[in-house]
Amino acid sequence: MERVYMDNCMTTKPDPEVISAMMPYFTDKYYFPANFVSTGSNTQNDLAEFKQIIANSMGAKTNEIHFTSGGTSANNIGIKGYLMANSNKGTHIICSVIDYPDILTNAAFFENSGFEVTYLNADYDGFVDLDELKAAIRPDTIMVMTTFANHVMGTIQPIKEMRKIIDETNQNIALFVDAGHAYGRIDIDVNEYGIDLMSVSAHKIHGPQGVGALYVRSGLQLASTKHGINRIDSLDTGGISIAGIAGFAKAVQLQFSNLQAHIAKMVALRNRLYEGIKKNIPHILLNGPEGNKRIAHNLNVSFDYIEGEAILMMLDVNNITVATGSACASQGLKPNYILMATGRNFVQSHGSIRFTLSRFTTEEEVDYVIEKLTTIVEELRSRSPLYEKNK
Amino acid sequence: MQYSQKVLDHFMKPHNIGVLENPSIIATEGSPACGDQVTFYLQINDDSHVIEDISFQSYGCASNIATASIVTDLVKGKTIEEAKEVSWKDATNELDGLPPVKLHCSVLAIDTLRLAIKKYEIEKGLRDPEPFSKDVIIEELRSVIYPQAGEDIITLKMVKYVRLDDDGTVYIDLDIPKFDQNRSTVVDEVKEHLEKYPEIKDLKITLA
Repeated sequence: MERVYMDNCMTTKPDPEVISAMMPYFTDKYYFPANFVSTGSNTQNDLAEFKQIIANSMGAKTNEIHFTSGGTSANNIGIKGYLMANSNKGTHIICSVIDYPDILTNAAFFENSGFEVTYLNADYDGFVDLDELKAAIRPDTIMVMTTFANHVMGTIQPIKEMRKIIDETNQNIALFVDAGHAYGRIDIDVNEYGIDLMSVSAHKIHGPQGVGALYVRSGLQLASTKHGINRIDSLDTGGISIAGIAGFAKAVQLQFSNLQAHIAKMVALRNRLYEGIKKNIPHILLNGPEGNKRIAHNLNVSFDYIEGEAILMMLDVNNITVATGSACASQGLKPNYILMATGRNFVQSHGSIRFTLSRFTTEEEVDYVIEKLTTIVEELRSRSPLYEKNK
Repeated sequence: MQYSQKVLDHFMKPHNIGVLENPSIIATEGSPACGDQVTFYLQINDDSHVIEDISFQSYGCASNIATASIVTDLVKGKTIEEAKEVSWKDATNELDGLPPVKLHCSVLAIDTLRLAIKKYEIEKGLRDPEPFSKDVIIEELRSVIYPQAGEDIITLKMVKYVRLDDDGTVYIDLDIPKFDQNRSTVVDEVKEHLEKYPEIKDLKITLA
């Protein structure tokens, strides 16, 4: 079996059609946009077309889309830009303890710069506490930040309910959403969800690395956070790879042209994987919700009595790539903060494995993973003193 | 950061894995909370003090399993005096090295082995149980590895002060810069290592 890649939450394999769409911008059409000169104006036209594709994918207007050099850039430009431009209206922001690191590190940055941050708790399945949100909003609150789909547990946050709670206050509070893991796996219409700012990334949907986009609702003020020459976008100044943007647009076309079918396929394979694990392996725990409140491609399971890095390494030797929430696989030697914050104990966090599928995942691959995993868990448990004790 | 082929070999096919029937001594170190725990089973000849057989069980990562495996290879057939001389650096070298963040696995394996030998010696009257003192604490802190340097915090002079009061309160001053990303890991490791001493009633760690 060739390498089975089930870490699509980290990054995805670029679609060959994406690579083809990018090539001309490396070889011939490498020009930056410019007025009047044919080389530059052709690029201008192409970029407008690409922007239209991204805008359409989320129900936005083209002038609401900003190209960025990746999802984290989009998060920084959106969060910092909005808070800096609107700090005269208030200096209180809200996010959750289980948000994506981009949100949490930006929140911590503003906390050190005179802002106050309320960190909402999440329940066992990773849903943000809506009562806490309601109670947390103050007259000086200017932004609520959330992660559309949790990158560890796959939990889809109740964005519409969050919007409703914000609207009921009759205050002017922006809703910022990191949609990096949700985009292309849920049908997102920014107006339907009431999203004010949203970040997305190309490489999470079989596009190239190093390019993303920030949606900014018309009329919102953003301060400049990256000063420099305006080549492609006024917010993310300097050069952004045009080939990358071309690839991004192609990736969006491929992912969204048949979105419901892609989602259905990922859900079916994800369920097949979970059912197979449940059938073959005792003493497991599903991390995150079941059913349609979980993002299509994510499965996260804890295996009792054994440690995730060992599972990860044995799968790797068998040509399978996954991720783990174990401390032993992290640089800081800490178990995953989301699993710990949602009520799992150390052993459950250390023993967690995240499988994230893609539209390229096949049934054969899923069955191969189930087969190898069954043997590996059995082998590691036979070595574990914890399993011995509990037998 | 990668494991050496030798680490992978010992991880995939560990030597001397499992439970030994009627061992002379059993010792366990580490805890599931930290994500690594090792149990050694030793069969020691009471006359010659030769470790005639040894096996282990492991809850832990690939390097945890590999280091325990190599330690069993290194001490099998040796006397307990010879086995005591085997260091975590020997175990690491024998595996063609470990990534710096994984050196504590090697330390854990050696600590577990030494604990087993100590327990055996006390049981057989070969040595007296050690009275608890400040020196025991300092010796224990030699097992706390600073991840980036791959050395223990005593050798690196990161421990500035240790005091043991009569009421069992222990004061430790650590010199780790505030911006150091390993700061909280080291503190957690110090707590973890000292947890097993019932003599310690309260632990107060101050960070410089």
